[in-house]
Amino acid sequence: MRRQWWGIAIGMFMGVVWTAGKIAIPRFVGRAIDRGVDGGDGRSLRINTILILGIGLASAVCAGARRYNAFREARVIEANLRNRLFAHLQGLHFGFHDRAHTGDLMSRANTDLQSIEILFSSLPMSFANVMSLVGATVIMFLLNWQLAALSLVSLPLVNVVAKHFSKVLHPQVLGIQQESAQLATVVEEAVSGVRVVKGFGAETVLAARLAVEAEDVYEASIGAARVRASHAPALELLPNLGLVTVLFVGGHQVLDGRMSLGDLVAFNVYLVLLIGPLRMLGDMLAQFQRAVAAAGRVHEILVSDPEITEPHGARPLAAGAGEVRFDGVRFGYHDRQPVIDGLDLTIEAGTSVALVGSTGSGKTTLARLLPRFYDVSAGRVLIDGHDVSTVRLQDLRRAVATVFEETFLFSDTIAANIAFADPDAGEDAIERAARQAGAAEFIDTLPDGYATMTGERGFSLSGGQRQRIAIARAVLADPRVLILDDATSAVDPTKEHEIRDSLGEVMRGRTTIVIAHRPATIALADRVVLLDQGRIVADGTHDSLLATSERYREVLAAAARRDEELQAEAT
Amino acid sequence: MGMWMRGHGVEEADKLDRAATVHVVRRTADQLRPQRWAVLGALLVSLVWTACSLAGPWLVRNAIDHGIRKGHAYVLDRDVMIYVVVALAQYASQRSQIMVLARVGERWLRSLRLDVFAHLQALSMPFYDREKAGVIVSRMTSDIDSLAELIQMGILRFASQGLLVTASLVMLIALSWQLSIVVFAVLPFVLLASAKFKRDSNRAYLDVRDNIGLTLSGLQEGIAGVRVVQAFAREPVQIDRFAVTNRSLLDAHLRSTWIQSWYIPVVEYAQHMTMAGTVGLGGLLVHRGSISIGTVAAFVLLLNNLFEPLQQLTQLLNTLQSAAASLSKLYQLLDTPVDVVEPSSPVALPDRGDVRVEGVSFAYAGGRPVLQDVDLVIHPGERLALVGPTGAGKSTLAKLVARLYDVTEGRVTFGGVDVRDASTAALRQRIVVVPQEGFLFNGTILDNIRMARAGATEQEVWDALRDIGVLSRFEALPEGLQTEVQERGSRFSAGEKQLVSLARAALVDPAVLVLDEATSSLDPGTELLVEHALERLMEGRTVIVIAHRLSTAERADRVGVVADGHLVELGTHAELVAAGGRYAALFGAWAGGVGAPST
Repeated sequence: MRRQWWGIAIGMFMGVVWTAGKIAIPRFVGRAIDRGVDGGDGRSLRINTILILGIGLASAVCAGARRYNAFREARVIEANLRNRLFAHLQGLHFGFHDRAHTGDLMSRANTDLQSIEILFSSLPMSFANVMSLVGATVIMFLLNWQLAALSLVSLPLVNVVAKHFSKVLHPQVLGIQQESAQLATVVEEAVSGVRVVKGFGAETVLAARLAVEAEDVYEASIGAARVRASHAPALELLPNLGLVTVLFVGGHQVLDGRMSLGDLVAFNVYLVLLIGPLRMLGDMLAQFQRAVAAAGRVHEILVSDPEITEPHGARPLAAGAGEVRFDGVRFGYHDRQPVIDGLDLTIEAGTSVALVGSTGSGKTTLARLLPRFYDVSAGRVLIDGHDVSTVRLQDLRRAVATVFEETFLFSDTIAANIAFADPDAGEDAIERAARQAGAAEFIDTLPDGYATMTGERGFSLSGGQRQRIAIARAVLADPRVLILDDATSAVDPTKEHEIRDSLGEVMRGRTTIVIAHRPATIALADRVVLLDQGRIVADGTHDSLLATSERYREVLAAAARRDEELQAEAT
Repeated sequence: MGMWMRGHGVEEADKLDRAATVHVVRRTADQLRPQRWAVLGALLVSLVWTACSLAGPWLVRNAIDHGIRKGHAYVLDRDVMIYVVVALAQYASQRSQIMVLARVGERWLRSLRLDVFAHLQALSMPFYDREKAGVIVSRMTSDIDSLAELIQMGILRFASQGLLVTASLVMLIALSWQLSIVVFAVLPFVLLASAKFKRDSNRAYLDVRDNIGLTLSGLQEGIAGVRVVQAFAREPVQIDRFAVTNRSLLDAHLRSTWIQSWYIPVVEYAQHMTMAGTVGLGGLLVHRGSISIGTVAAFVLLLNNLFEPLQQLTQLLNTLQSAAASLSKLYQLLDTPVDVVEPSSPVALPDRGDVRVEGVSFAYAGGRPVLQDVDLVIHPGERLALVGPTGAGKSTLAKLVARLYDVTEGRVTFGGVDVRDASTAALRQRIVVVPQEGFLFNGTILDNIRMARAGATEQEVWDALRDIGVLSRFEALPEGLQTEVQERGSRFSAGEKQLVSLARAALVDPAVLVLDEATSSLDPGTELLVEHALERLMEGRTVIVIAHRLSTAERADRVGVVADGHLVELGTHAELVAAGGRYAALFGAWAGGVGAPST
């Protein structure tokens, strides 16, 4: 930021030189007319002409330099802030992102930063404007204090009107944007719902709705025009009235011999010079207010502290086989009723546990406490005997890989998505991971294979295919503990068996926490833990629980009903 | 995104050549014909405004030359009074100029919006199959918005600056042709610089625009994917990657800034140069007695009217060009022929009747045939299920009956009337297509149901809901039928959306229902309700169902198997199973539970 302040300071300096030049030139024009043209002094005419050329050049060069400096520094500040904001968001805990809206964060990183950029880029200009206001005013007073005092009666009104203009126009412009967005919604619906529109012959209904929106846009635009019409002409009229006053009073002074003609011409030019800065400063003040509000919103994010941090002197996570222990764990989202309520569970290294329970039983939450996506409110979570809150976060998250229920793929190649945990992974490793996750087959059939682009703007993959890439991504990380959070939910039930085989391989010899509801997937785990309202209500093998636990049979039956419906759909 | 960019640009491919530009201008002039008096008025007030802007320097010159210098106080006083009147006239004319231009422009935009939308609505399914939804929507949004921006900001300035520059030049020459030589010596350089600026800034604009897109999607991805990033402890890498994108946007911005930064001083210096030239040459001319000192003073003031407007005009040219490109795309859309044409003198349709498909073939324009020589008669009240592999043509066949497409050969009749001879409105009251997925529009549930029959009363909607036995379900909504649908009904389940769809059909009370069976499953709570509602809806109507489940085919009166564009089997379920053809094979596989036939 210090460098940017220097740049802005240089910009301000350039702005002052530019302004000084702008102010000086009329002075020399006046002299040339007075002494050179009117007085018939050829030497003075030549000197003044050359001075105008020279000062004009310096002034123009400084104008360019000011502009470039101002915008460069403002853009750099904007870019730096955006980097900081992005980095900060990447470090903020899950809890923050659970509450935040993507659209809101986007607008802070986009339009709010833009307002700040506009403010900084206009700093040198504002400074130069203030300087030219001061300079021109001083010279005008020196030239003729009566005339100066007279013109200063009407001119400040320009500033007042300009500020008011900017203030009332802004909401009008936002109004147009809002109405246009509503119109766009109708168009979008009409296009994506075209089958409904055609099927039911609803064209006239939509046309009527669009007419309403088009009318709203029209009204909003006319409203904005009305604001422009009531302000912009006044911004021309006020300086004109100032000019004519000067001409009248000054003209009589010249006639009375109390002022030279050259001074009167110069005075007029200064008056014209004042108008631009006065107008701009008014606009600038309104923009300044918007920028302050925007900076407040950006600041609000930058000061929200990440809740999940590693303690000072966090230790590296020592090598281990992957034993996981939950010790008297309690947890609740935003301190409301507990989701995990005093839970003890030990998962021996290299074994797999299926967490089973109805929606809201706490199974996903429990799995998210291990990689410290959330911190326990009481009790401890241990990996190979180390409390997860005492080890280095990076080590912990490298040791525990999660496959989320909702897959997220980045706009990148499939290979890069699989190698997410280790971008340096070789082709072999990537292909091995894909094979283990049961993804290799379909990737090979894609036109570009592993180089196929995915994500929002890439090749559209089915839910099951995306899920398998996510599994490959976790496999490639070669984690000590693997968490599969309903990882097969998006997979077509009839195809699930294909993944199930590969999952078995992935899980072999690795500590694995599987959250599942299909018996066949549950059966892959060595042990089943049934959760209900944040507590363990049954613990054993799939078969033993089937035999002994009524609740377990209920939960499975409910899940099976849902699956059957899915099955019916597949046929 | 708008605020990120200043100015405008147009892609090389979208640039219009001379002929296209002439076409666009001519057509726009045609469209503005109904408003010609308002346009004329706008031009008139613009002229008044420009004249007033130019009168100021004249009056000053006159006051100095004939008043102050000659010692005539009355001339000075008279000129001052005229100046006040002129300033007030300028105020009034500018005020009305803004309003008149806004009214004319916005009215034109409103009619353009309505026309384009009406044309979009008139275009039939083949158009929507062909074009990407995003592109269609952008015609009505970004293309029209760029015109709106031109009208709100640009055209006014363009017109007044253009007038100002032209009038100033004329006045300069009129004042003193000798002094104008100074201006004409400098002007070519300014024009050259302006041409380079226009080209470079256009390219820079497009570059900035692309980079903004990349940065925004990088941001979006970083926020949406933050859980995965943290799960794999990849924050540093992601932050670095974003920094690269962000840097590239910064560079694009800086290039664009640089272009602005050299151009503006060049024009500014041109103004200083002419100023120096005017004073220098003017001095000599005054000494020789060729011109008066007042002329020099007026010249100096007029120069202010020349260079800054010229610079703004250059910047506006890109805006103008991109607006012309948008307009050209809009006109092309308006020129897209409508495939399914309304008959000029529509024939009335009977209330009920046979649906007959006679020797029907269908192909997309220039494409290979989708259906060939299909003959089919469906009697009133009969249920026909169409089965067959995806892409075989079964849904095309069903949609030809509803005239969502027009047959290429043969004809489709309802009650003996060719569907092409009936008005679309009448046809939709007889034959309704219920799409696979319920689609909700923003508005209330009542509006959503009523869109199938705009004039229906609320009571009729309630009756329709009662007819299909879903009244209680809709009464149970938080605000009943007045419940607002937001974000395309994200709060409603797929089943509830389907119920709305069925309610629409019930409200129309058609003779023929074309059903596209849903492939995805519904929430358990609603599935049963949807089935019952569907059963009630089908009662007593002719039904053509595009079946995805063989259980549906099994329940139909007759089954038609469509394969490779032909109707290959037709008969009752029992007949077809007994015949041992394709249907029998499909059904055997399904009933055996080995797998699901992909119908």
